[in-house]
Amino acid sequence: MSTALAARFGSFVGHLSVAAELETLATKLSLVTVRISSHGTRVDGVGAGILWPLDDRLSVVTNAHVVPSARGSGFLVESVAGRVANARVVARDRELDLALLALSEPPDEWPTPASIGDARTLRAGEIVVALGHPLGVDGAMSVGVLHAVPNADESLVRADIRLAPGNSGGPLATLDGTVVGVNSMIAGGLGIAIPAHVADRFAREVLSR
Amino acid sequence: MSAGKPASTTSTRSALRALSDDLASAVERASRSIVAIHARPRIPASGVYWREGIIVAASHTIRKEQDIAVTLPNGARAVAQLVGRDGGTDLAVLRFDTTPSKEVIALAGRVGGDALRVGSVVLAVGRPGDDGVTTSLGVISAVADKWRTWSGGEIDRFVRLDLSVYDGFSGGALVDADGGVLGVNCSALARGTPLTIPNTTVDRVVDALLTRGHVARAYLGVAMQPVRLTKALADRLQLGDSARGVLVVMVESESPADRAGLLVGDIIVAAGGTNVVEPQDIAELLGTERVGATLELSVVRGGERRALEVTIGERAPAAEGRRRGGRGS
Repeated sequence: MSTALAARFGSFVGHLSVAAELETLATKLSLVTVRISSHGTRVDGVGAGILWPLDDRLSVVTNAHVVPSARGSGFLVESVAGRVANARVVARDRELDLALLALSEPPDEWPTPASIGDARTLRAGEIVVALGHPLGVDGAMSVGVLHAVPNADESLVRADIRLAPGNSGGPLATLDGTVVGVNSMIAGGLGIAIPAHVADRFAREVLSR
Repeated sequence: MSAGKPASTTSTRSALRALSDDLASAVERASRSIVAIHARPRIPASGVYWREGIIVAASHTIRKEQDIAVTLPNGARAVAQLVGRDGGTDLAVLRFDTTPSKEVIALAGRVGGDALRVGSVVLAVGRPGDDGVTTSLGVISAVADKWRTWSGGEIDRFVRLDLSVYDGFSGGALVDADGGVLGVNCSALARGTPLTIPNTTVDRVVDALLTRGHVARAYLGVAMQPVRLTKALADRLQLGDSARGVLVVMVESESPADRAGLLVGDIIVAAGGTNVVEPQDIAELLGTERVGATLELSVVRGGERRALEVTIGERAPAAEGRRRGGRGS
């Protein structure tokens, strides 16, 4: 999928290297994106999560609706390399639609966390990408542009990008791979993400309790 | 903000980065000419600063005509009045009470029609309210010749877009990768399909609305439907293979058609020297510039062929404004 998009964008600007750049970006983002599923139910309710940089802890930020309390507090987190770790929900905030998961006994060669940016510093029209598991397709990338710059602290990030269920909890990122949002929903065709600085504040507040 | 062991970031200039910067700069440039228009409940619509003191908007988004609040690119509010509207092209023209300064708003930087090419990367730029400018990215998916909208408007080029339509699309600008304005966007002219009304058409409509307050719409005052003639009749009247025409099902009293003696039941088989097989064939002969001209009709009445001359009239603007969806001409 990423290759097809890369080819499309490659033809847009006449630079063959663009395709390679998008592939590199997809690879980079896939390292910080995990797949979250319930114990024993790999088919139902697959969502995405982001390996979040929180001191030396191995944590994952995702949407609260990806890890609903009805499914308990234990989930399986799978890296792009297929390594699986058990994760426990540390906190859920249904109003923000955010959840923080702590990994227990992560396997070796676990990837390093994402770098986090601020969507309020972007410009409308800037290219953004999303990585996730839309409709269960693992590690799929979509490319779009920032629809509007969030102008208030908690304004949601709106992107002109094609998302689907399964993108929830995954990263919305800039071309240098910086995560600027947690993809959360689709509204009127727009991809809606929680700004990364809000997710970061949520995660740090949870840990400081 | 980040801590721990963030993934490394690269800062090399890349072709992709350059494209992204270009797109963002294009939006930034265009946004200086895009306003929000608060003339309907709930979601405000977009408008483009077209001429000194003049804004162009999508007519269907304008529900009030006086003291319309306009959000300028810098977030400040101004007041404008509706000058006129044209249901045919879904364009409306507003005039600022006080023309804002050049520092606050820039005239749309327009580019020529030859930039309308299939496959061109374009951005739809709008301002659906006070929260800043919005955009969506896509390409021009089709460009074709002059066409006529369902409500009778003439548009110089058919420009279809492949991009997502969000709030603020209609009345916003279509811009190229340099931020040059290619036209005014509208999703209400073809069942929600995103289209762009090219600059030349916008200019023509703006001229008409500023000088006359409406766009002259040529009309005959008949309702028609396509019919097929019997082969015997067609042979007798030597209509050749085209044994078809349009049946007059209504004649508006005191209309040009009425004055020319056209009757309900007449079958128009030719107009202006060409065969007529559907009402659209006649509509296409009724351009704005034809008002006052003579149109020769060949009709079948009582099994005989006869010629009629109709002086093309101008539809009263008030009736035109409220007309919805008719195929009458």
